[in-house]
Amino acid sequence: MAAALFAQSAARDDLARGRAFWDQRLAQSAMAALEIAARDKDTAAEAHEALGRLYTFKGWQQESVFPGWHDEPAYRARALAELRAAVTADPSRRSAQEALRIAEGFASAEKVDPAPPREDVKALDARIDAYRNAAAPIADLEAAIEARAKAQADPAPYFTGAQILLDRGEHDRAIALAERGRAASDRFVGENLSAYQMAGKSQGAYSRGRATAADLIGWAAYLKKEYDRAAASLGDAERLSRGQDFANQFHLGELARATNQSDRARQHYLDALALSAGPPSLRQRATDALRAIQAGDRAAGSFDAWLETELTRRRDERRSAALKSVVDRALPPLTLTAVDGRPYDAAGLRGKVLLLNFFASW
Amino acid sequence: MPHLKTAYAKYRNDAAVAFVLVSIDDDDKRLHRFLDEMKFPFTVLHANKDEAQQKMGFDDLPATFYVDRDGIVRFEARGMESHGDSRDRVSWFIEQLR
Repeated sequence: MAAALFAQSAARDDLARGRAFWDQRLAQSAMAALEIAARDKDTAAEAHEALGRLYTFKGWQQESVFPGWHDEPAYRARALAELRAAVTADPSRRSAQEALRIAEGFASAEKVDPAPPREDVKALDARIDAYRNAAAPIADLEAAIEARAKAQADPAPYFTGAQILLDRGEHDRAIALAERGRAASDRFVGENLSAYQMAGKSQGAYSRGRATAADLIGWAAYLKKEYDRAAASLGDAERLSRGQDFANQFHLGELARATNQSDRARQHYLDALALSAGPPSLRQRATDALRAIQAGDRAAGSFDAWLETELTRRRDERRSAALKSVVDRALPPLTLTAVDGRPYDAAGLRGKVLLLNFFASW
Repeated sequence: MPHLKTAYAKYRNDAAVAFVLVSIDDDDKRLHRFLDEMKFPFTVLHANKDEAQQKMGFDDLPATFYVDRDGIVRFEARGMESHGDSRDRVSWFIEQLR
């Protein structure tokens, strides 16, 4: 009797944990806990339904919900199976019947829209944003960040919060938040790894989170005039973003200028401006800084013409650097079919110059 | 990918050049919806996602390869940044291999 009660409450715990993980979009932990709860008959119907809803999201609705996520068709049959198991376990369970009806509708639909934004999370984001210009107590801002992070486990609230704290001169608190953001980002990507579909895309997501954190930490160190630490952290961010992040290049420019390395500063400001990102105010600051450096270095020549030449050269270099010559190998034999699945005879392509473009509709 | 259609206009009647798109989709319905929308004027084929990635060594999309008349891969362009924005860039690669 006592053992049965204990088992029941353990299954209840797993179910509650699984649901809480899923609320935060921590998919792997949620699935692990719910799968355990699904094995206990007291929680089977609820756990199967929760798994079915989770798989429905993964199969049809997660496209672009976070940058780099794509639908995973492999989960579709599993979604239907879980929801049918939920209805079998408890035929009177309305919410499971409803979820099954929706998933069956998705399965036969031509197109399924991604899940809509979550209103609760949006409201919590707005609460953090409201602290951008307010002189409210830091503790309130930090409470707003914690509340948002608890609702959904992506790193955004930490990074937004760190930026706001930087703007308010709270450098040490900003560094602490950025570090938590990096940990949250790593975990979030790992929990949702299969949603990225390709190794290059999940690596990109890891790198983006780490680069964002490193840039925030480096910039905070710069503002504290800890230039060695700033150089190390901003340099990490540059490596992780492969020199492609506007803010980071701008920050490296500012650091180089503050430490009297004008050649270096010039390169970073130019690299920043050669990217098509960045708010107009920062682009203007980078341009002004360059103008000041150039005025010191050479008296003659038009600044505007010089700048245009430099930016064009950088854009061209960036394009050609992204071209990797694999190459000089015979095209590997690949099993190619027509898009309707019928065999395709590649003989007709022999002896031609071939453009071979691999793509996916997602 | 519209730039490939634009670039193709120049080679439409050129028997020495072929454009081939290879989809690695695993969702047929979605692929066909996409193809209906895009109406590519050249060959579109399908390959297994894992096999294609492994044999061709790419881990991001789109991945574009230029192959010469002897079947040797001569150029590779990854992602959109380096390649996706320009018709002239596509024909530059092709002209190198003529």
